[in-house]
Amino acid sequence: MIDTLILLAKIVAALVWFLVLTLYLTWLERKESAVMQDRIGANRADFFGYRVIGLFQPFADAIKMMFKEDFTPSFSRRFLHNAAPFMAFFFTAVTIQAIPFGDVLRIGGKEIKLQVLDIDVGILFILAMLSFTVYGVLLSGWASNNRWTLLGGLRGAAQLVSYEVALGLSLIGLVMVFPSLRFSAIVDFQGDLLFGWLPKWGILLQPLGALIFLIASMAESERVPFDLPEGESEIVGFYTEYGGLKWGMYMFTDFMKVLIIACLLTTLFFGGYHVPWLAADGFHFPWGGQLLLPHGIVILLQVLAFNVKVIFFCWLQILVRWTYPRFRYDQLMDFGWKFLIPLSLLNIVVTAIIMSVLK
Amino acid sequence: MLKHLGFFIEIVKGSIITIRHFVVNMFYHILNLFGIKTKRRGAVTRQYPEAPIQLASRHRSLHRLLQRDDGKPRCVVCMLCATVCPSECIYIEAAEESDPEIQKVPSTFIIDLSRCCFCGFCVEACPEDAIRMDTGEVELARYGRGDLVYNLEKLLG
Amino acid sequence: MVKIRIDDRELEVQEGITIFNAASEAGIPIPHFCYHPAFVPEGTCRMCLVEIEGVPKLELACSTVVRDGMIVSTQSDRVRDGRKGVLEFLLAEHPLDCPICDQAGDCKLQDYYEDYGLYESQFSEVKDKHDKKVDLGKHLIHDQERCVLCRRCVRFLCEVTGTEDLGVFERGSHTEVNLYLDNQVDNNYSGNLAQICPVGAITDKDFRFQTRSWFLEEAESICPLCSRGCSIQIGYHPGFSRFSLPKRVYRIRAKTNETVNGYWICDLGRYGYRYLDENRATNLKARDSQSRIQWDAAVTLLSEKIKRLYYMKRTSRITVILNSALTNEELYLAGKIFQKDLTDVNIFFADAAPESGDDVLLTSERTPNRRGALELGFDLKPVDMDILSSQTDLVIIFGTHILETHSLSDLSNAMENIPAKFVLAPHTSDLDPMVDMVLPSTHIAEKAGSLTNIDGLVQSFQSALHPLGESQAEWQVLVDLGKELAINFKFYGQFSNPKNINREMGKEVPFFGK
Repeated sequence: MIDTLILLAKIVAALVWFLVLTLYLTWLERKESAVMQDRIGANRADFFGYRVIGLFQPFADAIKMMFKEDFTPSFSRRFLHNAAPFMAFFFTAVTIQAIPFGDVLRIGGKEIKLQVLDIDVGILFILAMLSFTVYGVLLSGWASNNRWTLLGGLRGAAQLVSYEVALGLSLIGLVMVFPSLRFSAIVDFQGDLLFGWLPKWGILLQPLGALIFLIASMAESERVPFDLPEGESEIVGFYTEYGGLKWGMYMFTDFMKVLIIACLLTTLFFGGYHVPWLAADGFHFPWGGQLLLPHGIVILLQVLAFNVKVIFFCWLQILVRWTYPRFRYDQLMDFGWKFLIPLSLLNIVVTAIIMSVLK
Repeated sequence: MLKHLGFFIEIVKGSIITIRHFVVNMFYHILNLFGIKTKRRGAVTRQYPEAPIQLASRHRSLHRLLQRDDGKPRCVVCMLCATVCPSECIYIEAAEESDPEIQKVPSTFIIDLSRCCFCGFCVEACPEDAIRMDTGEVELARYGRGDLVYNLEKLLG
Repeated sequence: MVKIRIDDRELEVQEGITIFNAASEAGIPIPHFCYHPAFVPEGTCRMCLVEIEGVPKLELACSTVVRDGMIVSTQSDRVRDGRKGVLEFLLAEHPLDCPICDQAGDCKLQDYYEDYGLYESQFSEVKDKHDKKVDLGKHLIHDQERCVLCRRCVRFLCEVTGTEDLGVFERGSHTEVNLYLDNQVDNNYSGNLAQICPVGAITDKDFRFQTRSWFLEEAESICPLCSRGCSIQIGYHPGFSRFSLPKRVYRIRAKTNETVNGYWICDLGRYGYRYLDENRATNLKARDSQSRIQWDAAVTLLSEKIKRLYYMKRTSRITVILNSALTNEELYLAGKIFQKDLTDVNIFFADAAPESGDDVLLTSERTPNRRGALELGFDLKPVDMDILSSQTDLVIIFGTHILETHSLSDLSNAMENIPAKFVLAPHTSDLDPMVDMVLPSTHIAEKAGSLTNIDGLVQSFQSALHPLGESQAEWQVLVDLGKELAINFKFYGQFSNPKNINREMGKEVPFFGK
C-alpha cells in the first residue's frame, strides 16, 4: 500500500516537475532570446500589479490558449485531427518517467529510488516513445485534410525517421562503454573516477557520440535549425489547421522535447545526478581532502546538480535555436544520412577498437 | 569532410557571438537588478506606453483635413488622393459651394483606415495642402472595423 | 490628286483639302482647339501651326489648302516653339483650377501643355477676373475664365441648331463668350456644347462634380430612346473595391458616326441615362416562393406551363406582349418561338408612346427598333384587353411599357383571371405584384445584338455594361426557352451569341441578309 502511494507520489512529482519546467521553458526561451538580441522580452503579464520579470507570462499564455476557440476545420478528419496533438503530447510526456533524478533516498528504513520507472531497457523505452511522436506529426498533417499540412507532416515524418537512425547509432557506443541499457546503471557507472581523479562521464568516453546525439536529438525536437516541418513564420506545416489549446499542445510538446533531450544528455553523457567527487557519504577530493555530509544533503545536492545540468542544456538548445539559420531540406537530409550516420558508425568502430585494445 | 569542418568553425563562431551578447547583457541586467546604475543598459528596448516615443516630424500618422480660415475644409474634391491611393481607401463625394472662388467642397470624405497603408501618397498628391498625416496619432487599434472608417467630421477633428 | 510631304511621309491627297485633313487622314496628329470637322475652319486658336517649306511664317494647318509638292513639317523646332508661344498666350489668363474642373483629364489644354508647353510662367501680374459660373441654360454652366475663345460653341449654335444664343463680346483680355440679351441655350442639342468645348469652359450641370473623368471607362452602344439609333459613348465607373457608388453610368456622350448622327446627340439621349441604374430589377422573384429561384428553374417552369397548353392544342390562349425595344435577334427568336413553334399565339406590342420629334436627329418614335419589328413581319398590334382578360391562360409581358397605355386597375382586373403570368423586364414596376414571376432582363446598353433605325439601317452593337445583378439578356432567355420547349431543340441549340442568331436571321429574312 505504502509502496503504491510512494510510486504514485513519484509519478505525480516527476510529471509536475516536467510540466512546470516546460512551462517555464517558454519563459526561458523568450527571455534568453531577448537578452541575446539586446531586448528585454516578455515582462508585461502581471499578477495583482506585480510583474516579477515576466514570470507570470507562461500562465497568461496558457490561460489565453485555453480560452481561444477550439477550432476544427469542417473538412478535416475530425477524430484524428483531435487525437493527433494528444498522441504527440502523451508519448513525449511519458518519457520523463524513465529518468533518474537522484540516488536512492533512505527515509525511515524505506529505500526510495528517485526514479519512477527503472527498467532494463530504459534507453530503448525512451527511443521508442520518442519514435511514437512521429504519429502526432504525421496524423495532424493528414487529418487536417489540407495538402500543405500533409506535405508538412510528410517532411516532419521523413526528418524524424532519418535522424532517429543517427540518434540510435550515437548511443550504441555509449552502451558498449557502459554495458547496460538501464539508466540507473549508466548513471552509476558515471559516478566512478577515471585515472583516479576524472569523473567518468559519458562525454569524456564518448565525445563524438555526445555531439551526434546532441545534433540528432535537436533535429528530433523540430526546432530551428531543423524546423522544416513547420516554420511558424515562413513554412506552412503540419499544425497549420490547429488553433487554441490543441495548437498549444504541439508547442508544449516541442518544449517538452527540449527538456527531455536535456535530461537525456545529462543522464547519458554528463553524469546524471552526480556531482564530481561526491560519494554517498560526502565529498572525497582526489587531492586527499574530504567533506562528509549527511545523507539528506547529499541527495539534495544530487537532485540540484541534475536540475542545474538540465537547465544548462535547455539554455544551450535555446541558444542554438536563436543563433543559427534554418537548413535547406536537401541539406538537412544530406546532413543526416551522409554525415551523421557515417560518423556515428565510425564512432562505434573506433569505440570497439579502443575497447578491444584496452582490454 | 573538409567543407563540413569549415562549416563547423563558422557554427562555433556564430554561437560565440550570441553567447557574448548573452553574457554581456546578462551582466548589466544583473547589475541593474541589484540597483547598480551603469552607463550602458542591458537592452535597447524602450518601454513604449510608459516611455512614449518621439515621432519624427515627417512621420506619417493619422490623417487630418485642414480647414480654411472660416472653418470649411480646404479640400476641393479633385480626388487626386482617391486616384493615387494604392489601397483604394479614400471615398469622396462633392457638393456645390455658393462661393464661386471655391465652388467645390466635399460632402462626404471617408478614409477607411482598416485598408490604409499609410504610404502618404494622398498627402503628396494634394494640390491644396488639404490633407496631412501629421497628427502624431499612431495608436489606431479599435474593437470594430466600423470605428476605423473616418468621415469628414472626424478627419476635420 | 496632289502629292505632298508631311514629316518625311509622301502622301497623295485630294485636291482642295486642308493640310489638317490631309494629316489626320494619314494619322498625323496636329494639335488644335478651334477646328472641328463639323464646322468651317476658322483659325482662331492658332494652335495648329505648321511649317511649310518656302513660306516665311508658320501657317495654320486647319485653313491652308494643300498644293502640289508642298513640304510640311508638323514637329520641327520652329513649330514647337510657335505652339509653345500660342499656348503661353492662351494660358496667360487661364485659371489653374484643374482640381475643380470637370474637364480635367479630357482637357486639350492639359494635354498640349504636356506636349508643347512646359514653360515657367513669365507673368507676375494678377489674372483677369471673369464670371466663373454663368448659367447658360437647363444643362450647361459656363466658366468665362477658362474659355480659350475658340468659338466652337458659337459656331455650333449658328451652324447646327441655328438658335444663335451665344456670342463673343468685348475686346482684348476682356473678351468673353456670353449670352445674347436674355437668351438661354435650351434647345434639344445644348449638351453637345459641353462635349465640343475643348477646355472646361462649358460643362454639364448633370456631370458637374459627380466624379473625375479618369475614373470613367468608355464603352460604345446605341441610344435606345428614339428610333434614330445614334451612336453613343457610355462613361461608366467600374467601381471601387470597398465603397459602393450611387450609380454606374455617369455620362453619355456622342460618338462620331457620319451615317447616322454625325458628331451630335440630342439632350434626351445625353441626359436620359438614369433608366440604366434606377428601379432596376436585379433578382428573379416568384410570388409564391420565399426562397431564391435560379434562371434555369424559372425557364423550365415557364416552358412547362407553355407545353401544357401546347399539348392541349390551346396555344391560342397564350398571349405575348412584346416591345420594339428588343433587338432584331430577340424579335426574330420571339417570332420563331411564338409564331412558328407555337402557332396562333396572340402577339401584341406595348411601346413607349410617340412624342414630337425634331428635324435634326430626334424622331417621334421613342422606341429603337420599330422598323426592325416591321421588317420581321410583326404587325405591331396594340394590346387587346378583351383577349387579355377573357381569352388568355398564360401571358408573358416583355418590358413595362404596357403601364403607360393602360391603367393599373384595368390591368389588374384583366390579369386576375389569368392562371399563369410572367414579366420579363429590366425594371421593377407595378406589374410585379400582379404576376407569378418577375424575370430581370437587360437594357440595350447591357446586351449585344443589332437594331434597325427609322431609315432601315441595321446597326450591330456590343454590350457596354455588365448586366446588373441576376438579369439576363432577352435573347439568352428566349434561346433557353426554345431549347426547353424542345419543339425544335436543334434550331435553338445552335445559338450561343447574337452573332449566330443574326447569321441565321439573315438567311431567312432577306432584309437582314444584306
